[in-house]
Amino acid sequence: MNSFRLALRVLRADPRTRTSAILTGVGVAVATGLVLLLVSLPFATEARGERSSWQGPSYQSGEDGPATIALAQSSDYTNGEKITRVDVAALTDPSAVRLPAGVPEFPAPGEALVSPALARLMDGLPASQLADRFGGDVDGLLGADALAYPGQLVALVGHEPADMPETTMPQQGFSTAGAGQDPLLQFLAGVGVVVLLVPSLVLVASSARLTAARRERRLAALRLAGATPRQVVGMVAAETTIAAVAGALLGFVASPVLHAAAAQVPWDGGTWQPSDFTLAPAISIPIVVALPALVLLAAVLGLRRVVWTPLGATGSHQRKPLHWWRLLAVPVAGLLFFGAITVTSEGEGGTLLVLGGLATVIGAAVLAGPWITSAIGGIFLRVWRRPAALLAGRRLREDPKGAYRASAGVVLAVFTGSMALTLLPTFESLAGSASPFQDSVLYVSTRADAAERMTEQVNRELARYGQDERAVAIGEVLLVDRQGTAESALVLDCTSAGQLLRLDMGGACAGTPGVYNDYPIELDHVTVTGAADPRQPGEPFAADTPMRPIRTTSPDVVGTPIIDPAVLPAGVAPETATVAVPTTPANREVVRTALAGAANGAQVQSREMRLADQQTQLSDLRRVTVIGLVAAAVLAGCSAAIAAAGSVLDRRRTFGALIAAGTPVRVLARALRTEAAMPALVATVGAGVAGVLVGIGLFSLFERGAVVLSPWILAPVALGALVAVLAASVCRPALNRVRAEPLAEE
Amino acid sequence: MQPQTTDPHGPLRTAGTSVLSGRGLVKRYGAQHALAGVDIDIQPGEAVAIVGPSGSGKTSLLHVLAGILRADAGEIHLAGQRIDQLGETRRAELRRTEFGFVFQSGMLVAELSAEENTALPLLLGGSARKPALTAARRWLDRLGLGGKEARRPGELSGGEAQRVAIARALAHEPRVIFADEPTGALDTRTGRDTMNALLNAAAETGAAVVIVTHDRDLADSVPRTVAIRDGRIDAGGAAA
Repeated sequence: MNSFRLALRVLRADPRTRTSAILTGVGVAVATGLVLLLVSLPFATEARGERSSWQGPSYQSGEDGPATIALAQSSDYTNGEKITRVDVAALTDPSAVRLPAGVPEFPAPGEALVSPALARLMDGLPASQLADRFGGDVDGLLGADALAYPGQLVALVGHEPADMPETTMPQQGFSTAGAGQDPLLQFLAGVGVVVLLVPSLVLVASSARLTAARRERRLAALRLAGATPRQVVGMVAAETTIAAVAGALLGFVASPVLHAAAAQVPWDGGTWQPSDFTLAPAISIPIVVALPALVLLAAVLGLRRVVWTPLGATGSHQRKPLHWWRLLAVPVAGLLFFGAITVTSEGEGGTLLVLGGLATVIGAAVLAGPWITSAIGGIFLRVWRRPAALLAGRRLREDPKGAYRASAGVVLAVFTGSMALTLLPTFESLAGSASPFQDSVLYVSTRADAAERMTEQVNRELARYGQDERAVAIGEVLLVDRQGTAESALVLDCTSAGQLLRLDMGGACAGTPGVYNDYPIELDHVTVTGAADPRQPGEPFAADTPMRPIRTTSPDVVGTPIIDPAVLPAGVAPETATVAVPTTPANREVVRTALAGAANGAQVQSREMRLADQQTQLSDLRRVTVIGLVAAAVLAGCSAAIAAAGSVLDRRRTFGALIAAGTPVRVLARALRTEAAMPALVATVGAGVAGVLVGIGLFSLFERGAVVLSPWILAPVALGALVAVLAASVCRPALNRVRAEPLAEE
Repeated sequence: MQPQTTDPHGPLRTAGTSVLSGRGLVKRYGAQHALAGVDIDIQPGEAVAIVGPSGSGKTSLLHVLAGILRADAGEIHLAGQRIDQLGETRRAELRRTEFGFVFQSGMLVAELSAEENTALPLLLGGSARKPALTAARRWLDRLGLGGKEARRPGELSGGEAQRVAIARALAHEPRVIFADEPTGALDTRTGRDTMNALLNAAAETGAAVVIVTHDRDLADSVPRTVAIRDGRIDAGGAAA
């Protein structure tokens, strides 16, 4: 009988081997599905970027051909939702312009093409709140191939070339260069592969353990009966291959379901098309082959003992105590990690160096974890009062690697979760904007000569819409000191500054006009220039110009000196200006429509909008962190539960005898629960502390400020502890099963 | 009325009666009768060997008498009190306090030392660490295992491991010890030594011993033998 047929016969005849094979298959399927998904994430962002590349300007050189279009991209918002606005003008015959996929035609001046989601919004809102921003005529819809994600709000607005914003660059055609892979998602996918793959493989290892003792005995018997090492290895390889290959194929076949689920998870403003996650066969096939091969390799390597010393497997063997030097891995990894952080924060290293440091920390946990587990077992053995602590202590002391392995998935999930929850609240606390404008103010930066025309048009539209608010043009100048250091200043009267800016003017407006700032400026030491270049000659202030102190109302606002137009030195003509309009919650969308209509594609800005971008990214991070943590916790919990059940089944005859001798199942279950949960609980706390420390280290790469530790930081530890306790609770049903079996069965 | 002893086991022990008796015991597995109406009495301090071929019902009889399995019919009395109608919780308590068990291959917890294995039933029964370990050491010493208390089952010979199992069965000083093929995994000489150790230790505590074995030589070393065949006591094969 060949190895494959023997393996099939064992699988058919032995329910426990069958259960183990099914669990191994499930573990490999989950691992395959997750790896296929995570590896596809960077490609998914690339697919998105390629579809929407036409929405951005092209940076190709003029050597690629004559310019055929002028294009400007800006972001607009309606009720907090981002609209990507693309303003275009044909510089040649529009029919000669090569159109991107999903764009049915080139919009004529005054016409617009919009995405289906935007069209629905426009239908549901008065024109003054949205449609008027795009010139009124919606000429057609953009197809799905032209959108980054299914619900994206996009408007493609046609213009005459002369009406385009001044920032417009002529280009050879619509851009076809994708945005490339999202580096943040690429990093997260890398972390995800580690965080989710490890518990998946622990699940496989735990499943294999369910029958390890029985299989060792069977193989040892075969060896003693004369089977060669090659034959024994062949049998195990066949047994494992059946489960692992079936699992990998199942994972591959089921991956579209996972992709469909992942497509519903928003990232960077929207969900995905399921096809975004499709991987090229050149990538997916090696993954589907590699995972079962890894499992097979691990199974064969695990046979060393039975292959070379068949009697060793049937008899007893003494485990060697672990060396204390394993503990040294922790300080060494800490030094390496923080060394990498220090070097990188000084601009010398890079992401790879930090990832290397992170990998060292995880590696140190793998080395030191079993030693610490064994040490905890030693403490238990010294202080135990109850059999639960005695059993737990002996188990931890006897097989610290196995005990640690069972909780490795939980440990990694808690470590990553603690790290993420250290970073996220701190990043959130940093989210802000240095813009001096109040939250409610909408504004557009433009050339000073265009500002007057824009202000008039906005005010006309506002009057037409029946609004009382009016736009104000604010000149922008530079204050240049004697050392040549320049500082931006706004030309604005005191009362308007109090209305539009995040400044507390106090009683400053009561006096004669002057210069206002939150720290004193020596006005006789500076000159004022309206040019963007500070080296241009400036004009001094009049000798009696008053300097009036004011205060900023928010810590994140950068102090901006205000110059009342009355004291602006003669001859200073600002080159750039900002057109700003105050709004109320009730008229925000109407004012935005008036401003966007006049801006002709120039970016309408608000502090809200800037925060929205930051918040979108933080929400994305929070969402993927939670999804990753929950998935890792579920996987880790399953593997820990299987490991706990396996440890009961390994000793089923002993426990069966103890139950027969009158030991209540609940007493044994309590002891085994403690035994299973204790190492995971201890490791969870350690992983939480390590995660916070590493999070603090990583944060120092971005900011020097203090880390914000929210109470949520305890959540991963609590989740890990809960998973450990729940997983350990399978001891009871496993014991009930042992009780139900005849004493002599094995 | 029978006189009460001052035995710490309490009112269950009464002088002059069987410590354990079974009447009309029936146990079926589907259509097959493992026990088909067995009557048996075990006197205090008595050692009884139950012998018979494979499948004769001897292990079923031991499990039914010990309350591990519930009989389909018949009555079991422990020191005059009926115990077959008790619920599983109470029967488990009886097994823990009144009975001791020795199985074929010891069934020791591999990670625990000889001393800890011996103390385990006491600990699981609620004893504190110190008295449990003291009792365990005392029994190991009495069974010739002094100095080997810290060894694991894997570091002991088969006979030594079985003596640890005997110590574990005796540590709480039970009324009856049930031994299921206690020497089945041992060579003849070691088996005999182990058997003697069991019988001597039981005699010291006054515990009755019920041994299931298919080994005639072993059975001959026990004062009383009960033969069983096809689920019934074989009168021709029994030796009083």
